[in-house]
Amino acid sequence: MRCRMLGVLAALLLASAAAISAELPSGPKPGATDASLVQGAQIYLQRCSFCHGLLGDGNGPAADALDPRPRDFTLGTFKFRTTQSGELPLDEDLFRTVSRGLPGTAMQAFDSDLIKNGLDEAERWAVIDYIKTFAVEFEDPELDPVENGLVVTLPSERPPYSEALVAEGKEVFEHAKCWECHGKLGRGDGQESFDRTDDWGFPIRIRNVTHPWKIKAGTEVEDIYMRFSTGINGTPMPSFADALSEQERWALANFIKSLQHQLTDHQVLKAHEIEGEIPPDPADETWLAAEPMDVRLTGQVIAAPRWQNPSIEMATIRALFNQTEIAFLIQWDDPFVDVTHRGEAEIDPQEISRVGAFSSYVAANGMAPRQLETFRDAVALQFPVKLPEGTKKPHFFRGDSSNPVHLWQWHSDQDQAGYPEIRESNARGWKQPPKVQAAEAQQVSANASWDQGRWRVVMRRPLQTEDRNDIQFVKGRFIPLALNAWDGSNGEHGLIMSLSTWHSVILEAPVPPTVYLYTLLAVLLSGGLGLWLVRRERLRLAAQN
Amino acid sequence: MKKPRTLRFWTVVLSLVLVYALVKWGIPVVSRQITGLPFPLTVPGTLMFIYMLLTIIALFLLVTFSEEHLAEFLDPIQRFLRGEYGKVTRALGLIVVPGLVGWQVYDVTIPKVQQPSSLRIQHPSSNFPKKNEDLKNPFASPSDAEVDAFIAQAQANEVSFIPQLLTDLESWADYTEPAHMLEAIATAPVRTFLRELQAGSVSRTSARAALLEKHLFEGRALYSMNCRPCHGDSVAGDGPMADGFKLRPINFTDNGTIETIVEGYTFWRVSNGGPGLPTEATPWDSAMPVWKLNLSEEERWKIILAEYDLAQKTPRIPESH
Repeated sequence: MRCRMLGVLAALLLASAAAISAELPSGPKPGATDASLVQGAQIYLQRCSFCHGLLGDGNGPAADALDPRPRDFTLGTFKFRTTQSGELPLDEDLFRTVSRGLPGTAMQAFDSDLIKNGLDEAERWAVIDYIKTFAVEFEDPELDPVENGLVVTLPSERPPYSEALVAEGKEVFEHAKCWECHGKLGRGDGQESFDRTDDWGFPIRIRNVTHPWKIKAGTEVEDIYMRFSTGINGTPMPSFADALSEQERWALANFIKSLQHQLTDHQVLKAHEIEGEIPPDPADETWLAAEPMDVRLTGQVIAAPRWQNPSIEMATIRALFNQTEIAFLIQWDDPFVDVTHRGEAEIDPQEISRVGAFSSYVAANGMAPRQLETFRDAVALQFPVKLPEGTKKPHFFRGDSSNPVHLWQWHSDQDQAGYPEIRESNARGWKQPPKVQAAEAQQVSANASWDQGRWRVVMRRPLQTEDRNDIQFVKGRFIPLALNAWDGSNGEHGLIMSLSTWHSVILEAPVPPTVYLYTLLAVLLSGGLGLWLVRRERLRLAAQN
Repeated sequence: MKKPRTLRFWTVVLSLVLVYALVKWGIPVVSRQITGLPFPLTVPGTLMFIYMLLTIIALFLLVTFSEEHLAEFLDPIQRFLRGEYGKVTRALGLIVVPGLVGWQVYDVTIPKVQQPSSLRIQHPSSNFPKKNEDLKNPFASPSDAEVDAFIAQAQANEVSFIPQLLTDLESWADYTEPAHMLEAIATAPVRTFLRELQAGSVSRTSARAALLEKHLFEGRALYSMNCRPCHGDSVAGDGPMADGFKLRPINFTDNGTIETIVEGYTFWRVSNGGPGLPTEATPWDSAMPVWKLNLSEEERWKIILAEYDLAQKTPRIPESH
């Protein structure tokens, strides 16, 4: 009886572990009816049309600000399928996308099990019926993937994730030349320039496969397997179904899975104390002793010009300090080194910043040039000028009029004449650009390097300065810290950037000697009490006898 | 009578352990059952201290109830001290107990690396202008004159839409060549209104319902352009920008968010954003923009209309009504 129970439990666990089972409908799609199309049209109007457009052409009012652009349904070209390259998707594929959404894009989950006001199964089928009316291809029985045997299935043998399988997958990654686009370490840095576009002529950014939150159609091995077994229609991503065997693709999927970064989950950066010099080289091994903290960044959507297509969504920070100095190592993935800056290409935010403007967001394409050799890469650390009393801080976005912030901003275009690599500035809110400190007050120095799609920047400064506009580092205090970052070739400059909210850094104070004193006293006292009781008991016993 | 003697001591120890376990783990487990929340409610440290103090007092009364009781309680301790349970046990006890005490003292005195956390008031009212309390969304209940104007527009097929929708509406009209522009809004109230319009007998009731649909249509477009990046397609606070913010954007489908406040409050929050919050609501952590800098009053009201509709919630009615 117990064994059977365990068996059932194991089966249940296995079922829940199968990644793609959860988004499967309870049965095949019911046939489209007049009623289902009327219902689907209404759902489409209320939940889909503002992105995908009334005609399903991906031109809704919100579409211009989005990258990737909302899907144009009229061509019958769908990216995420379980059918052969270039073919139409299965109903179940559309169901999966509507149900769980496409992470890293504006397409979110609509499953009523996940979202309170989401769509139940019948509603999802109804809206899919309606979406299919946009493309004539769905009416052609010769294109039906099921009838024509064009469905791609998972391999019959799926060995579990293991080191050996990952190593095998790495070899496949090498000889199938995945790195030509995705880069040797999967950071999407394989190409020297981006001249790739999708079928609609919009620029394509090569996926950094190490960031699971940007993986659109599922992060599980099964999902990854499907991507290179079916290709991504409308994009340069081909299918490898003919070039690689099922086993090779399964191993490759396991290797890609192994590249996914696990985010740290703390908000406090512990600065590590070292003896002697802090290494200026960002690649120095001393840095490994400092505990890393991943910081999530997001598009600057707080003030116009707003930007919802940031390319830097995570940076990792480490901190080292010694008797006199503190240094921060900031690293983030960026496939292109942008070291030039053309001021005349910057956009004038006036027009989109006024009340009642058409939109206060920067369009994904055609507004700020998203190309190489136009804008510089940059990163800035932000601290409050005054250490906060209690929890009160300046606003995380550049402070406010009564609570200024101190910025350490590093620029990649140090080679350009007269422009310093790093500069300190102060800001009191975002309305005015940060005010650069006087030359004699500039005390932060920087070292930067770029390798394999990753920037590493070290910024250092004395712990204490004479300047009253500077943050002063005191041991044992929580010092708020936030990040701003710019990817030049993503069109980012000025307020078009990514930013983080407040985190903290703490320089650990040595344990005060009183702690040890109190502990020792407590041990001695309680130990002495024990011994005294034993002695007293012995005396009492002796007296009784 | 030897057995009950040791029993008295163990009763005391067991009672202490039991009460501690009940408060530490029992109450949180039960709280989950009662509240139905996905997380347990832990007992605060001070309350734990009071519970344990009361337990100790009760046990002290029990033990000192009579000389006999006290003797019974002390007996196993005295035996232990005399080494009757073995010299090794006694030595171990004399080392372990001070060790535990030392560990506790160390744990209490050592400075902890913990982010200072602040209690945050989500709907602060300390600086909420009272005149906003009775503000009504002008697009939720249009006046008869506005409805009549809408009927006139509809009869001439000259219904006006916000500029943000025009491109999409025009390409839709070019492709489908509709009899009436309102056909773009494929909902039942609009269909009823259009039928009446065709039959030449429009009622204000159906016109008002159709006008509301038009405002919702516009509000959803404005919401999706401006608010959706953080608050999400389904107003669930899970937009593509949401993960980067320490204070997550509010999930409007949650009970206790937009349905517990009056419309005028929502309007005030949308207009003044994070910087408009008082200190108790930690404005420095809020990413909510000051929308009055970019959106007109009409746009803000239309967004609020659509937001409540998408969340399937209604605003709180002002108390004076």
